[in-house]
Amino acid sequence: MSYITIDKTKCKSCYLCADVCPKALIKKDGDTGKTGQATVRFEDKNNECLACAQCAMVCPDLAIVSVIKE
Amino acid sequence: MQTSEIKYTVPKSIKKDTVFTFCPGCDHGVALRLVAEVLDELNLREKSVAIASSGCSVLLYDFLDVDCIESPHGRACAVATGVKRAHKANGSDKFVFTYQGDGDFASIGLGESLHSALRGENITAICINNTNYGMTGGQMGPTSAMGQITTTSPTGRNKEYHGFPIKTAEHIALCDGVSYSARVALYDIKNIINAKKTIKKAFEYQLEGLGFSFIEILSSCPTNWKLSPSEAHKKIENELTKTYPIKVFKDIKETPNV
Ligand SMILES: Cc1ncc(C[n+]2csc(CCOP(=O)(O)OP(=O)(O)O)c2C)c(N)n1
Ligand code: SF4
Repeated sequence: MSYITIDKTKCKSCYLCADVCPKALIKKDGDTGKTGQATVRFEDKNNECLACAQCAMVCPDLAIVSVIKE
Repeated sequence: MQTSEIKYTVPKSIKKDTVFTFCPGCDHGVALRLVAEVLDELNLREKSVAIASSGCSVLLYDFLDVDCIESPHGRACAVATGVKRAHKANGSDKFVFTYQGDGDFASIGLGESLHSALRGENITAICINNTNYGMTGGQMGPTSAMGQITTTSPTGRNKEYHGFPIKTAEHIALCDGVSYSARVALYDIKNIINAKKTIKKAFEYQLEGLGFSFIEILSSCPTNWKLSPSEAHKKIENELTKTYPIKVFKDIKETPNV
């Protein structure tokens, strides 16, 4: 089960990760971050994450701190 | 037994607990992370001196875990020249690179930048071309595209009043002292991967002592462009790459100086 770890305190709600995820596993969360907008949440109920790290590559704020392939 | 493999982690050359001060979705953050990844891969952290500049990346010394000097606006290549030469004279070879905005590199600092390239200083310059003066509120820069609306070109850049934008990577490529000059972009994964390879190549050319290496990174400035981060990337892909093609303009290994 591959997964990513998000540091919500760094998320500035640009949603570039949500746009790029080929499996649409990153969604807006209920919490608001430092910009007053919803931060993002990783949700992978069916173990679809490819650990491709595209989300981490596009994140301009180091908010995706790790991508682990299992 | 299940094995796990780390596919991505924050580069070691970024200081622990760094929070970038850039606006949401700004490509400066991606560019700086790629620089840090390449510093890690080439094991350059302990032998690097980064030269920061005025602009949105002014706090670079807070982000990168390398020795750093802040230069006055536009003077990064001149400062880098001094650092590189002084260390060389003392028998220590430092890896020296600048990180500058387009206003910094190609407008206020054009003289320093161009002459460092002409002299073939063995340094690497990185120029973030976001087609305006980001930090001071989005004024027209030397790189603003024709028709671009900025706070100082409210009806759009026009040739009668403002003249034409500078194509920095093309100009730098014309200097004989240059080993490598390329333009890259960060608007999608393919371009981000290419940008990292290009930064690595430019760094390696300095390590090989081949002369001035230069990368222009075509970047978004969502705040001043008044676009969402993803719209800003579309603008780069669909509009700005017409003025600023993604290309290697000089590679001394492939086309030596005549
Ligand atoms: C000598 C001098 N003139 C003007 C300024 C004000 N100033 C600070 S940042 C900046 C614009 C920087 O724009 P650019 O180099 O394009 O970088 P960006 O902020 O877009 O990353 C200006 C004009 C200054 N700091 N020093
Ligand atoms: S003003 Fe533009 S270049 Fe500066 S941090 Fe904001 S988006 Fe980035």
